[in-house]
Amino acid sequence: MTGSGTRLSAVGQAILATPKTLLVLGFVGSLAGVVLSSFLGKDGFPTLELYSQLLGSQVIQNVIVRTVWIAATVTVLCTLVAYPVALFIARSKHRNLLLVLVISPWLTSIVVRTFAWVVLLGNRGAVNAFLMSTGLIDSPIRIIFTPTAVVLGLVHVFAPFMVISILSVLLQQDRRLPEAGMSLGAGPIQTFARVTLPLSLPGVLSGGSIIYLLCSGAIVTPLLLGGLRDRMLGTQIFQELFELYDYRRAAGMAVILLVTSLAVVIPMQIIDGRIRRWTRG
Amino acid sequence: MMAGELEIANVSKAFGPVQALRGASLNVGSGEFVSFLGPSGCGKTTLLRIIAGFETPDAGTVQLDRQSLLALAPYRRPIGMVFQSLALFPHLTVAGNVGFGLSVRRENAAEIGRKLSDILALVGLEDYEKRRIHQLSGGQRQRVALARALITSPSVLLLDEPLSALDLKLRRQLQGELKRLQHRTGTTFVFVTHDQEEAMAMSDRVAVFRDGLIEQVGPPQEIYRRPATRFVAEFVGETNIFAAVRESGAVYLPDIRARFPGGRSLPDAQQLLLSVRPENINLLSSNDQGGVEARVQEVDFGGMTVRFSAQTMIGERVLRVAVASEKANDIAPGMPVRLGIDLDTAAALPTS
Repeated sequence: MTGSGTRLSAVGQAILATPKTLLVLGFVGSLAGVVLSSFLGKDGFPTLELYSQLLGSQVIQNVIVRTVWIAATVTVLCTLVAYPVALFIARSKHRNLLLVLVISPWLTSIVVRTFAWVVLLGNRGAVNAFLMSTGLIDSPIRIIFTPTAVVLGLVHVFAPFMVISILSVLLQQDRRLPEAGMSLGAGPIQTFARVTLPLSLPGVLSGGSIIYLLCSGAIVTPLLLGGLRDRMLGTQIFQELFELYDYRRAAGMAVILLVTSLAVVIPMQIIDGRIRRWTRG
Repeated sequence: MMAGELEIANVSKAFGPVQALRGASLNVGSGEFVSFLGPSGCGKTTLLRIIAGFETPDAGTVQLDRQSLLALAPYRRPIGMVFQSLALFPHLTVAGNVGFGLSVRRENAAEIGRKLSDILALVGLEDYEKRRIHQLSGGQRQRVALARALITSPSVLLLDEPLSALDLKLRRQLQGELKRLQHRTGTTFVFVTHDQEEAMAMSDRVAVFRDGLIEQVGPPQEIYRRPATRFVAEFVGETNIFAAVRESGAVYLPDIRARFPGGRSLPDAQQLLLSVRPENINLLSSNDQGGVEARVQEVDFGGMTVRFSAQTMIGERVLRVAVASEKANDIAPGMPVRLGIDLDTAAALPTS
């Protein structure tokens, strides 16, 4: 953003100073507060006691691993689901209509959408009823309140982000590029693998970063669809805050969430930036 | 014998309500350089894309070396293409781009390397193999696109206005290179352009398109000197169009109420439509008889020649004139001149 923006007048600067200050105080300030409070002992002195306690706990370790595992699985599944959809929309004449369909779930609240999965996946839900009617299973299988249900719910909620992210990159591609591939003798599959796919990787990476971040911090879906043992960092923080009122532990876990998320997302952003630099113009 | 003979017969194509081609026919000989020339929207790019296989014609046939192309997918046609946007692969290096066609065909690495250095030498891009596309200049990108399309030795190379984005000087230089490249490879070139000078300078033959039809096909000299229709006469170069009436030993131009001798080479009809090129109008001295009185308007000094417009006193027709500059030293706006027309070089056009 630097350099290309228009220079602001003094009045403009003054007007923008207010939201700027609020943003710095509200966002950076509270984040700093969270981080600092997690490093202060009950006696008010700096200590790592909280972290040794948290990271030493088998429960928390499991929660961290589960969070990373579920977020990664959801990100990969979203890519697999969303890529064909984005490709189809990019080549369709009814692009706008299809795009509206993809984002239409956002018109309903995430809580409502998640409850829909409770109905579908429950023991007497549509999925079990279907499987039993086909004779594949004799008694209902347990899907609801398992990590599978959480993954399903999260993929449903987040896949549109990936569709939009990939679609925006596909639509920016020169439509002549696949034709160039074909004129050089590459069939549809080779053209896709050698031209379209590599050039759309920035879209996959930015979509993946967003989804990974949102998944790591997800609360509603794991809370409603996961079992009692399928807690993730988001639900754990929620519990500490609103059920146990232990703000210090919540702060510590928030920092752990932040660090584990950034550890994945920052490398993705670096790769993304590198690819974009290669492929510009 | 060389391959690369194209036969295009009665090709039509509509995009919704827009009729892009209405039965275009053309034969292109093996190793020939043919340009498709015409204003935008005349169907020339559509015909090129039909030959490449990116569009399917509604009617008509396209044959390459007596085999129909229409049933073949674009990637099975032995045809290369250079796109207007060049469509270089931004994620690949120069070597990756140029070698693309060979690696798709799974040729072995040693063979690819040999052909790669041959073709890069041919287009003057040795030592650029590892560069990325965004590190190249416009002219270098052009050469990469050419090398990429030629490395698989296609029978026909299609070029869709590839030089239109370049500045004039570079364009002239690349026109020469393109022509030499075509001679050395012996590939049939089909070149789409809306720039008539480019078409004239490079082609063995030019096909002039208008509204989805090919109006005239011929060598550049023929297109210029003997345009088949008024459209061709006006689109290619500058011209002055006159209605004319034949008289014995002379031709009368009613517009400017003037009579000029000659015109024996013109057809035998009474009523004629003539195309007179600016260089076929000359300045007469005050001693000369006949001609037409006119007043000079703008003057455009072009080194070897001076081009000017002059409005006739009678009929107020604005004529375009080009004369050798040493004969027009003192020409200036507002000056009265007497103009002669060399009717033996005029081209007769169909009157309807």
